[in-house]
Amino acid sequence: MTSWSQAIVFFQLTLLCPLVAFGATPIAPGTDEYDARVRPFFKAYCIKCHGPDNSKGGLTLHTLDGDLASGRGLERWEDVLEALESVEMPPEDEPQPDEAERKVVTDWINKGLGIYVEKASREAPATTARRLTNFEYENTMRDLLDVDLNLIQDLPKDPLKPYHFNNTAEFMLLGPEQIDRYLQVARTAMASAIVDPEKPETHKSRQEWDSGESNKGFAKSLNRNEIAIQNSRRGTPGQGMGVRDFPRTGEFRIRFQASAVFPNGATELPLRFVMGYSLNINSSTQEVTPVGVVHLRSPRDNPQIYELGGRIENYPVQLGKVHKGKRRPDTLTITPQNIYDDGTLNDDNRFLYWPRQPDMPRAVIDWIEFEAPITEVWPPEHHTRILFDSPLRQSEPRKYVHEVLSRFMSRAYRRPATTEEVNRFLKVHDLLKPELGTIEATMRETLAMVLVTPQFLLHTKADGEVIGHEFELASALSYFLWGSMPDKELIELASSGDLNDSAVLAKQVRRMLADPRSNDFVSNFTNQWLSLPKMKTVPINRDLFPRFLYYVEAGERAGTEKPYIPTIRDHMIDETVAFIAELIRRNASVTNLVDSDFAMLNQPLAAHYGVEGVEGHRIRPVPIKPDHHLGGLLTHGSVLIGNGTGSAPHPIYRAVWLREAILGDQVKAPPAEVPALTDSAGDSAEQALSIKDLLAKHRTVESCNDCHVRLDPWGIPFERYNAIGKYQPLVPKEGTRVRGFDKKKDNDLAGYTEYVESVNMQEVQANARVPHGPNVDSMPQLKAHLLKSRKHDIAENVIRRLLTYGIGRELNYRDRSDVEKILSLSRENGFLLQDMIVAICQSSTFRGATNNK
Amino acid sequence: MPSAKAPPSVAPPTTSNETQEVMKHKSWHLDRRELLKGGGVALALPLLNGMGKAMGAMSKAPGEGGMPKRMLVSYFAYGAYMPDGPSGVPARKKNDPKNEHHQWSWWPCKDAGPLSFNKSSAPFALLKDNISYLRGLDHAGGWKLGGHSSGDVFATGADMMGAEKTNNISIDQVAAQRHGHKTRYSALVLGTEGGTGSYGSCKTLSHRGPGRPILSMHKPQEIFNRLFNPYAGKGVEQVRAGLKRDASILDLVLEHSQSFKNRLGRQDQGKVDEYLDSIRALEQRVERTSKWSHQPLPEIDTKGLNLEVSHKDPEEYIRCMYDLIYLAFQTDSTRFATLMLESEQSSSSEMWNYATYVLGYKGATHDIAHKRPADYSGQWDQWRAKQHAYFLQRLRDTPEGDGNMLDRTLVLWGSAHPHASHSTKNYPIQLAGGSKLGFRHGHLHEFVGAKKVPLTNLFVSMLNAVDVPVKKFADSTGPMTEVLR
Repeated sequence: MTSWSQAIVFFQLTLLCPLVAFGATPIAPGTDEYDARVRPFFKAYCIKCHGPDNSKGGLTLHTLDGDLASGRGLERWEDVLEALESVEMPPEDEPQPDEAERKVVTDWINKGLGIYVEKASREAPATTARRLTNFEYENTMRDLLDVDLNLIQDLPKDPLKPYHFNNTAEFMLLGPEQIDRYLQVARTAMASAIVDPEKPETHKSRQEWDSGESNKGFAKSLNRNEIAIQNSRRGTPGQGMGVRDFPRTGEFRIRFQASAVFPNGATELPLRFVMGYSLNINSSTQEVTPVGVVHLRSPRDNPQIYELGGRIENYPVQLGKVHKGKRRPDTLTITPQNIYDDGTLNDDNRFLYWPRQPDMPRAVIDWIEFEAPITEVWPPEHHTRILFDSPLRQSEPRKYVHEVLSRFMSRAYRRPATTEEVNRFLKVHDLLKPELGTIEATMRETLAMVLVTPQFLLHTKADGEVIGHEFELASALSYFLWGSMPDKELIELASSGDLNDSAVLAKQVRRMLADPRSNDFVSNFTNQWLSLPKMKTVPINRDLFPRFLYYVEAGERAGTEKPYIPTIRDHMIDETVAFIAELIRRNASVTNLVDSDFAMLNQPLAAHYGVEGVEGHRIRPVPIKPDHHLGGLLTHGSVLIGNGTGSAPHPIYRAVWLREAILGDQVKAPPAEVPALTDSAGDSAEQALSIKDLLAKHRTVESCNDCHVRLDPWGIPFERYNAIGKYQPLVPKEGTRVRGFDKKKDNDLAGYTEYVESVNMQEVQANARVPHGPNVDSMPQLKAHLLKSRKHDIAENVIRRLLTYGIGRELNYRDRSDVEKILSLSRENGFLLQDMIVAICQSSTFRGATNNK
Repeated sequence: MPSAKAPPSVAPPTTSNETQEVMKHKSWHLDRRELLKGGGVALALPLLNGMGKAMGAMSKAPGEGGMPKRMLVSYFAYGAYMPDGPSGVPARKKNDPKNEHHQWSWWPCKDAGPLSFNKSSAPFALLKDNISYLRGLDHAGGWKLGGHSSGDVFATGADMMGAEKTNNISIDQVAAQRHGHKTRYSALVLGTEGGTGSYGSCKTLSHRGPGRPILSMHKPQEIFNRLFNPYAGKGVEQVRAGLKRDASILDLVLEHSQSFKNRLGRQDQGKVDEYLDSIRALEQRVERTSKWSHQPLPEIDTKGLNLEVSHKDPEEYIRCMYDLIYLAFQTDSTRFATLMLESEQSSSSEMWNYATYVLGYKGATHDIAHKRPADYSGQWDQWRAKQHAYFLQRLRDTPEGDGNMLDRTLVLWGSAHPHASHSTKNYPIQLAGGSKLGFRHGHLHEFVGAKKVPLTNLFVSMLNAVDVPVKKFADSTGPMTEVLR
């Protein structure tokens, strides 16, 4: 039986002494050789299942064109190559070719593909032109205009496909609706970016709270200036501060004096501000947007003054209601929230109601001030960056406009704008001027039109030497690693022609990764790569996991998840993103994806996973021990919940995730007629038990078995992690009916623990034999197997994902050799993640064909 | 082709020869000159997809005879209760002499033939002669999409996972391309959640072409304003002046983009062409708006129309959406509409709670499809039927020519999966109206076994009935003669 480890050794050997290792004669390319050598191989090992009689997996080999140079059927040849190289085919229970036989065929395919690619890339390079994704668009507008606006809620969503990136060129199509929306959004943004000359009046509001004892109902013994956890009691700052007659555009500032009370000995309290609708009424139509979080550490006798800010445009305004024929003024409510969470808040389900939490930290707020717009510098810098001060403005207005356009367009186009381009917009300006009058109004509209040109909206590559390709490289780098336009340093290096130098490039990549803007890249990339967002919509079974989420207890929203506060699910997504960011920061090996000696945790996460000694909301690296059952990505709550049913683990989802996201396999979707497993299991405690049986039953059907025999074993070792991503080695005894969780009886933590112990009696079976591999019992052995035998695949997968995201198109057989190069480079230094990103940026695929000249 | 990925190979069944000819004559520059004479409406104002040309019977385009022929495609999610065989087709072996399990089936009667109505379909009893049920139809392109995503291609039949890679033009847009110029708006695209959604979780039924979803509108007030108050209170003269300016600017942007395109690598020029096409389409819209500004807007009696309705009251809301379509049809503001009543991926919207508001069901609307509580899912289907019947009834109650509005309106109503496991085969499909467009109703037809045909065959017949002479739509194999006179 062939094992993967042997294959790796074999592979390495052949690199050292190619072609002679096993004395096999290579097959020359061409159809004659195909008939003489390759066809017999297919006939001996493959045709039974992939031939005229059978086409398992939709693949037939007898119809494949043996002339690879023709370019026909290359995608399928690539499938064949992958199946053979990964030793996935032929299946284990079929006769196996020996290594040498396998090798000559894969070499022949590889060579044929190579010849074709060389020929074809001279003819028609792959399309990479695409529009900016919404994420890139918003970031670019922010960096271009220096005004941070939420713009994308008005744009059509980017095409999203599980395990694929939403910047894939071929899916990024443009239509008139899209352009229409771009224009509206650009007008909105320009209205904020360019202000009118006269300084507006500044609106100021202030509210104070004294420290007297509140005596209103439940709030008794809570001081009037205190906020208990998730509490918005009347008469306290938690109720929020309403603002009226505020300006609708401009920067705002919230200042406040705050301290905290820590009866439980905690040292830090996260205080979050949200702004928008008042949260004081129980209605589902509220909308708020977070302003920011401060971490209070000082005691009541030493209050500190804090400041938060933002743009008013980004916050939802609560429209005034019509009352007796008169409309009341619109309001904006500033609500401070005590979001302290040590993971014990659900120990008692009435806990979140004061005064049931007397030992819990409270925030103290003495006063809040709101001020907008900020006019200390007027006009603001973002305005003068466009309409700069210059004597030309008076003396030669036309020349001034030309200069304004030239500067703005060169930044918007991420390269120097040509005179022709500028002149054309001078004409646009001239058309608008008579009607719009002022330079401010005219420039707003003119520049809005600049922002709907293809030069701004599209990523493109110029032909020939018209405009320096180095600017394209600068953009490629900045959109890859920042999701935004290049900064001054990149543009300068592009102008001087130094950027294409590999050493300069490497230095820039490391600089960019160290810049906070790279957080956007890591978050965007990680969410899509690992298909994380779905975990937020998995319906958690409240009867089975009553302590996992915070629920609204009363009112019309009773039983739904508490809105407007950060939840454990948000923390879990942050955990995964922070983990990848930390690996990049440390330049750690990709093997950490499988297992690591640290986890990225904050207090709520640590409480969830059962790790002691983590305080506060900030996610940071925490050393872990084996009995935490953590380490690597595979045990992240974000992954386990997203690939479960909300009631039970789902071995197939988890297997698909492991193979797609980590091993880089493409797993075929099941045929449509097959009832989804979730439909028949997992909706209730009793049924949750039968998933394994179901799988076994499923595998008895041959058409199912063909795929599932290679799939299920990868998911079974995850079984000891439950549907909320917690290590849970015990489950209810098979075949028994368990009593449901009784909210009244099992009210507090002790009751819950007793309940869980009373129903979970039996150890979870988590062993399976992985295809072409050993028997694996539970997570540690799965990890060990992956690290021992699949390291190479995992590294290749990470390279492919990063490169695909970086260049904005799906990779194909043309890119194989470049990926191989990066991979072998990376192997030499132990698959270090940051180095890997540098090597990707240095690769010819990333730099574009232009670099090959 | 070996390079990157070939463009969708299946030709969209979009342009008949005649349409292409119209496009040829309508050189964009010619249009603009005309436009400058005419004036129009500010560019970003109308988001209704494409502006039509003439309004109502009083403003028929020259040579346009006869009454308007209309079409609506209406979609509900999560499938419907069909307690029969594995895909909602009767399990022949089942011994159920009293036919009890059929009382709450979405299908009104057990066997193919003349219609009789069970509890679930009771709201349609009075419309017996105006509706047909079509059992056993589906889109092959939807099979691979999975039960939570097959709604994407309900109105398009596109093979997204296969040859086409992206979604493709929808039936309403095919009709709009041909006849859209006859009305102020070429088509009306509505939904309950708004926007386009994304791949695999569409929030719109309409697509202009490959990968170009059209945003659906979901706010009644906004829809009303766009339909009947498009100038937002501005005077027509003011609106026209603004448009004149917009046209000149678009002209410059187009020139600007053209010269940019010429500098690009060959492989990137196609993308810029896509951009240029979009700008030209905006141009055409500007031109149409301008022409239409010479036609008075219809006067609408808003009595009984509650535009402030919220999702909290699903019945009011859904009926309001139907009312708006009714008004758009009645005033001949448009002849083609789509309405995405529900979408599968709606966990973050109020749709999720509809069944709770309506029936007091404790759980997400979606769960009804999975858990098969016969009473709830039957009641839920019945509630949906009631709303749809309300719309059909309204059309039928409105006299038009020698008949009523329903006689000249084709209304397709259905979902992209049948039952609890969200299989992607055998959709629940009902066709109503069009008695004067050649359709014959009152039966349940069955397309199973040897009689199986693609759902797109029905699309071909529907398009032909509204004077779009296509022979093929997506994977169709011919017209669907069973429902024709």
